Amino acid sequence: MVEWDFLAVFADFDLLMTGLLNTLKVTGLALLFGVPLGLAFALMRLSTNRPLSMIAAFIIEFFRTTPPLVQLFWFFFALPILIDVRMTPFIAAVVTFSIQSSAFFAEIFRGGIQSIDKGQWEGAKAIGMSYSQSMKRIILPQAVKRMIPAFMERSIELLKTTTLVSTVAYADLMFQANDLAQKTFRPLEVYTVVAVMYFVLIFVFSQLSIAVERRLARSGESTVH
Amino acid sequence: MNHSWDFATIFQNWPVLWVGLKGTLFIFLVTVVLGLAGGLVVGVCRYAKSQALKWPAMAFVEVFRNTPVLVQIIWFYYAFPILTGIEVNPFLAAVLGISLNTMAFSAEIYRAGIQSVEPGQWEAGKAIGMTYNQTLRRIILPVAIKRVLPALTNRGIEVFKMSTLASVVAYVETLNQAKLIADLNFNPIEAYTAVAVIFFVVLYPVVQGTYVLERILRKSD
Repeated sequence: MVEWDFLAVFADFDLLMTGLLNTLKVTGLALLFGVPLGLAFALMRLSTNRPLSMIAAFIIEFFRTTPPLVQLFWFFFALPILIDVRMTPFIAAVVTFSIQSSAFFAEIFRGGIQSIDKGQWEGAKAIGMSYSQSMKRIILPQAVKRMIPAFMERSIELLKTTTLVSTVAYADLMFQANDLAQKTFRPLEVYTVVAVMYFVLIFVFSQLSIAVERRLARSGESTVH
Repeated sequence: MNHSWDFATIFQNWPVLWVGLKGTLFIFLVTVVLGLAGGLVVGVCRYAKSQALKWPAMAFVEVFRNTPVLVQIIWFYYAFPILTGIEVNPFLAAVLGISLNTMAFSAEIYRAGIQSVEPGQWEAGKAIGMTYNQTLRRIILPVAIKRVLPALTNRGIEVFKMSTLASVVAYVETLNQAKLIADLNFNPIEAYTAVAVIFFVVLYPVVQGTYVLERILRKSD
């Protein structure tokens, strides 16, 4: 029988807390950049300008069909050679996950915008609004409300994907766990505690998103997935 | 931008990359079969009336859906052997992590499919004297699985991308081999670009295929 000993883990618990904060920091920043970028890609893809729409479609499909770990390695190891910038694990992580999640957000935005009834566009046009005015004032406000559940689900996926940054030595929760496991020789306890930490964090967010989805459903909004 | 691209070293090292591709394909096949088949079992249990089946299935789904797959792989690699005394190699750790994760996600897909079948179908099965299991197997599941086919294909695509995580525990797959080539030839840019292109070339037609599949199924429904 295995002797569980959590003392060593809890003695250095602040190490894990630092990691947790860094995980949340990367997730937050990736959302901050990824959402507007996703909107931009979606608008490009929906634009009637054919080259613009094709470029956006290519970027979106490329980042959706390549593994995030490959993207991370590319931004961390390859990009600095190409454009001569100093790349830190932190910057690589934020850049990768901003662009990667923007590709997914773009598709959510597109689904949301396309789900809006055509009559809304015609109504806006009838009272003299331009394309961008109708988009900003009529279409997007309705589309965004429908997108919220898909948006939250994607954000949770993003939170889980950020564990990959540990492979380029950014001190997120996963990386701190590896560090602590080596220091304490207690991989069983360390990785179990970290799994529980991730579980609690993600479970809370999942329940929150289910609650929001129920509420939206009650207010008579269909949802887009 | 004064980098001169040189893919020659990549082609010279093609056999190294090829070994990785085979590794990727192998782990993908194993995990996708285990994940989608196991998910069906868990999904059916999750829907079952028996509490003894329902609750463990629910707990399983929640645990594996709400933790990152990398944490699962690492846990199976470093923690699981201590707990059970079973020796775990990189392949087994990655297979356990990825297929259990896929089981949890696909279980929810199957369950949604089963729930989408009209109650009348259950009643019809019962009316002609079928048991619960017979109705499920002969009437409900064929309809349910057909409806969730696009979602299952998407899951398969996710699994293919997830296979790169096996490189973290040094299982020999495409990304792992690219890392090797990059370290030996100092050409990370070409090596990682090649891997990205390989995944794109493989998955892009599959993704387009799922769109077609979705359209066909919508029409036939």
